Amino acid sequence: MGETKKEVKKLNRSDFMKATIAGIGGLIGVAYGLPAIAYVVGPAARQEEGDWIQLGSVNKVEMNTPTLFKTVIETQTGWIKTESEISAFVLTTNGQDYIVMSNVCTHLGCRVRWIEEQDGFFCPCHNATFSRDGQVTGGPPPRPLDRLESKVEGGILYVKRGA
Amino acid sequence: MMAKFGNWMEDRFGWRDVWEAIFIRKIPHVNWLYTLGSATLFVAVNQAITGILLTLYYVPTPDHAYDSVVYITTQLPMGWFIRGMHHWGASAMVILTVAHLLRVFFYGAYKYPREVTWMTGVILFIVVIGFGFTGYLLPWDQRAYWATTVGTRIIGVAPVVGEWMLRVARGGSELSAVTLARFYGTHIWVLPATLILLVGIHLYLVIRNGISAVPGKDE
Repeated sequence: MGETKKEVKKLNRSDFMKATIAGIGGLIGVAYGLPAIAYVVGPAARQEEGDWIQLGSVNKVEMNTPTLFKTVIETQTGWIKTESEISAFVLTTNGQDYIVMSNVCTHLGCRVRWIEEQDGFFCPCHNATFSRDGQVTGGPPPRPLDRLESKVEGGILYVKRGA
Repeated sequence: MMAKFGNWMEDRFGWRDVWEAIFIRKIPHVNWLYTLGSATLFVAVNQAITGILLTLYYVPTPDHAYDSVVYITTQLPMGWFIRGMHHWGASAMVILTVAHLLRVFFYGAYKYPREVTWMTGVILFIVVIGFGFTGYLLPWDQRAYWATTVGTRIIGVAPVVGEWMLRVARGGSELSAVTLARFYGTHIWVLPATLILLVGIHLYLVIRNGISAVPGKDE
């Protein structure tokens, strides 16, 4: 028992076949398994790159008044292309810097509208109000209106998609 | 550890007998042509795996079928591979099935006591052809559309009931959304169910009766 017993293990035909079958079987399993995983998780792993969407000319933005811009964007989900309209309020106080705010109420997703007489945004669903720059001034919304990343190039206002 | 687990399972399942019956059975001295049946089974499993994966994205309606196939092939990671394996596997399936059938035929391996194995094999051959015929339509491209138009038209040539059977195959007088849906349903449900049942019987009989030896000169 205690002595070193050196066993010369000869690979017999049966063991060789077993090892070969296990090896080739494993390779085949990997050859199916890895592509299958990539194939199944593919659409989820895809990063939506935030490309810039053209909103419109900055000339249309009235000084100190939130101005509604609407634009149609094409989105592709899987093999289906759909057109959807996105709209956003644009505010400038100096004609240089622009704030782009989503018109979706941060409470439950209704659309807010700008009411000049009340100097604020109003959401008809639950009477929420927001100030000129999107801060909550009343009602249930948990946070200010979402802002979209924007830039001005050649007098055209762009917003980043997927924000 | 593994041995212990194996014994624990053995007490409850008795899988060793099953394993030995399938893989440790005695076979006569045979040649490479005897691997054609196993090769066919391997490709059938390939078709099942890749086919199931394809159904995750493929949509069998005229307005989405082609687009979803293009999406699988060009947009998904390894989608070209999965579809390619299914596409080429389909051809391999037919070729191997025929080769296997010819081997059995020329070796006279269909004789007593293996007649039922042969009969299930012949039905399996028809099922494989059915897979090929219904699967060919599914990409819904020009080739698929016109091949199926021609293919179903052949049914119409049958005397008396031909015209009626043609309408049943197409689900109407022309190829339509109905045709695509029923070819798809047949391809992924009816034929696979039939195939599994028949392959089960076929394999049971191969194991039960053993395989025939290569016939000698005087036989």
